[in-house]
Amino acid sequence: MPKLIRWQSGVAAWAEDPFTAVDDDQSLPRGEVIVSLARFQREGRDLLAGGRGLGVRLESDDAPEALILDLPQLEVVALTFPKYRDGRAYSAARVLRERLGFRGELRAVGDVLLEMGHLLVRCGFDTVEPADDTTPEQWTRVARRYRHVYQRAADGREPAFAERVRV
Amino acid sequence: MYRYDDIDREMLADRAAEFRQQCVRRLAGEITEDQFKPLRLMNGLYLQLHAYMLRIAIPYGALNSVQLRKLADIAREYDRGYGHFTTRTNLQLHWIKLKDAPDILDELATVGLHAIQTSGNCIRNLTADPYAGATADEVDDPRIWAEVIRQWSTFHPEFSFLPRKFKIAVTGSPKDRAAIRVYDIGLRLHRDGEGALSFEVIVGGGQGRAPHIGAVIRERLPVRRLLSYMQAILRVYNRHGRRDNPNKARIKILVASLGAEEFARQVEEEWSLTDKEAVDLPDTELARIRAGFAPTGFEALPPVSAAYEKAKASSAAFARFARHNVVAHKQPGYALVHVSLKAIGETPGDCSADQMELVADLAERYSLDEARVTYEQNLLLPHVKLDDVPAVHEALAAAGLATPNIALISDIIACPGLDYCALANARAIPIAQDIARRFADPVLAETIGELKIKISGCINACGHHHVGHIGILGVDKKGEEFYQLTLGGSADDDAAIGQVLGPALPADRVTSAIDHLVEVYLRERRQGERFLDTFRRAGLGVFKEAVYAEAH
Amino acid sequence: MKALTANHLADGEVVFWTGESWSERFVDAVLYEDNELAEAAEAHAKAQITLLVDPYLIEVAAVDGGLAPISYRERLRALGPTNKPDHGKQALGGEDIAVLARAHGAARSKGRVDLIRRK
Repeated sequence: MPKLIRWQSGVAAWAEDPFTAVDDDQSLPRGEVIVSLARFQREGRDLLAGGRGLGVRLESDDAPEALILDLPQLEVVALTFPKYRDGRAYSAARVLRERLGFRGELRAVGDVLLEMGHLLVRCGFDTVEPADDTTPEQWTRVARRYRHVYQRAADGREPAFAERVRV
Repeated sequence: MYRYDDIDREMLADRAAEFRQQCVRRLAGEITEDQFKPLRLMNGLYLQLHAYMLRIAIPYGALNSVQLRKLADIAREYDRGYGHFTTRTNLQLHWIKLKDAPDILDELATVGLHAIQTSGNCIRNLTADPYAGATADEVDDPRIWAEVIRQWSTFHPEFSFLPRKFKIAVTGSPKDRAAIRVYDIGLRLHRDGEGALSFEVIVGGGQGRAPHIGAVIRERLPVRRLLSYMQAILRVYNRHGRRDNPNKARIKILVASLGAEEFARQVEEEWSLTDKEAVDLPDTELARIRAGFAPTGFEALPPVSAAYEKAKASSAAFARFARHNVVAHKQPGYALVHVSLKAIGETPGDCSADQMELVADLAERYSLDEARVTYEQNLLLPHVKLDDVPAVHEALAAAGLATPNIALISDIIACPGLDYCALANARAIPIAQDIARRFADPVLAETIGELKIKISGCINACGHHHVGHIGILGVDKKGEEFYQLTLGGSADDDAAIGQVLGPALPADRVTSAIDHLVEVYLRERRQGERFLDTFRRAGLGVFKEAVYAEAH
Repeated sequence: MKALTANHLADGEVVFWTGESWSERFVDAVLYEDNELAEAAEAHAKAQITLLVDPYLIEVAAVDGGLAPISYRERLRALGPTNKPDHGKQALGGEDIAVLARAHGAARSKGRVDLIRRK
């Protein structure tokens, strides 16, 4: 049973996850891996040279700017929510998407709850590893919770002030 | 006043619908209390000592008569016929049933009201100068900018889980009536010689456990850049504010630990990288919101009203009301009329449904359909013709709303305290009632002059005790209610945190302590000095001596 | 001595466990001398998630004329707000309310604090 949910065109669905999350003291398995920032900084060159798909996991106190030069070579950046109430990853996500131009997969990991869905999508996440046994249908619904939004964010939705000019 | 358009209304409707679903799931047992609690808190629904409490947002304290009547209806139908106006210009209803909460939110939404972001670690309901749009000393109407921030901060995707709650106050006047120096962000509008508007940006003020006076991090921010600059401040705070200890998580701690200069540098750096055009509102939208606050309906009147002057001359009670509760308006022939929610012996900030309806009627008939809530827990009719003030006074007096005590000793701020609040250590209301009764004589109160007493039932400081000329903090001393007094605080232009007078006092000694403090003031004061001025000149010693002398 | 209290989920009303059901009056509360029994009752109450919010045990002591919660916070819950004598359980009147209202002395109770603070 896959544990990864991916949004595509606003619809969430179960997705196969080719990536293995690897701890710092764990030996590397074959195939695609997601490693910590520390390990990436230590072994990144070798990992990239190996030709495998690579992702980096940022803890909530890691600065996304640390990846500025490497982003084009990363397939996934996983942002950690140690607790759902720790909202630092929302800022990190917007910086990655809107400032550093990251186009790969942005994944929410850790204490990721359904009620966060709307915020996650708006900040540029496209996959989640839910911490509970929620379904893609629920995640689709929660991401579409509001018919309007008041601000621009990483999802490109038209904010109310632009909508008003158009109407 | 700004009227919600379809988009604003649909936002409220969507939110109410969502909360109804969440309540259904909770009542059916599909989600646990632990899962539900943050959801209900995001809609201002707390479980207090006796029942649920609903905190309804009144953005920048502005209400029209339809909204105020709706609040009265809700208080009557779903509560016990009254509500409590708070220092954040919210209305709290103390006896709410969870099963009714979705219906209440639906009803609020029909008049453009809600309980969004009245709790939680997010950007809370905005406050603004209650004199907005009515005072001659303002350079621009702060409600315009408060509404701009209200929309931007509503369901903000990046700033809904900040390290801690976040409160913003806006004023358009050089004179501060919004306590902007004790807010997470305080904004003061400024207009230069060429007419260009800018904000003075003050960050890191706050009360609670570690009170701070905010620091200016930018003298002149062009108003067009308000939101991008706010985003920069909030992003620096969201990324770097402490999350290991809730008592150290407010932005004031971050600003204090970095130093205001370094904090400002980080904000400027973040801001320099921000795509400002993507964040800041286009001029057309600013103009649309501004139009919502355009003054309408004022008549051209002479500056002096014969009827008003005659009423003052013929009634000492009315003259007293005029001296303390009526304020000059920018428009000739008009006045601002304070509606006191501090009747002697009543609960500060409480307002019955009947009183709300009366104020709604007066607002509609006499005040261009506007009423305001002040952070000092009173109401205000901002646009009353001087000719009509006698009639307004008569109606208010009949409803117990004309106590002539604005800014006087019985105009006491008090949080609900332990009578209602689950966080409180001690009661605040009975202390306020007792002090007000002691100084009920309006002649005595007038002799004493401006004296702001502020009472909180716990260190969270909802009652603003840190910035009271006399502050009173309820503490729990071995299970008994005790009260710690502070002197010399101020929330105004001369903002200051009060100094602790001495050991906490038992409840039955608080009023006599106030008595002693007032005696010292009346004895020591020099010509024209307020209590606060005398304290600042004479120092803590003489006051302390008087209060604690009998203990020796 | 301990009593078990909670708030009703649907309406928030303060209630006390009588041993068989939940009553709105403190005087009906069953008193536990035995900690294990008290905790078992609390655990049972905690499982009733569609009925109750946050059940917890409170300390009770003999006072003039009867029994009362030791902490004034809990006495206020059992009575109602002091500024509105006609609101809350005190409005019901009766000798049991008079006993609570007369009681004084106190011990610190954290009561509802944890309910408000998000974990």
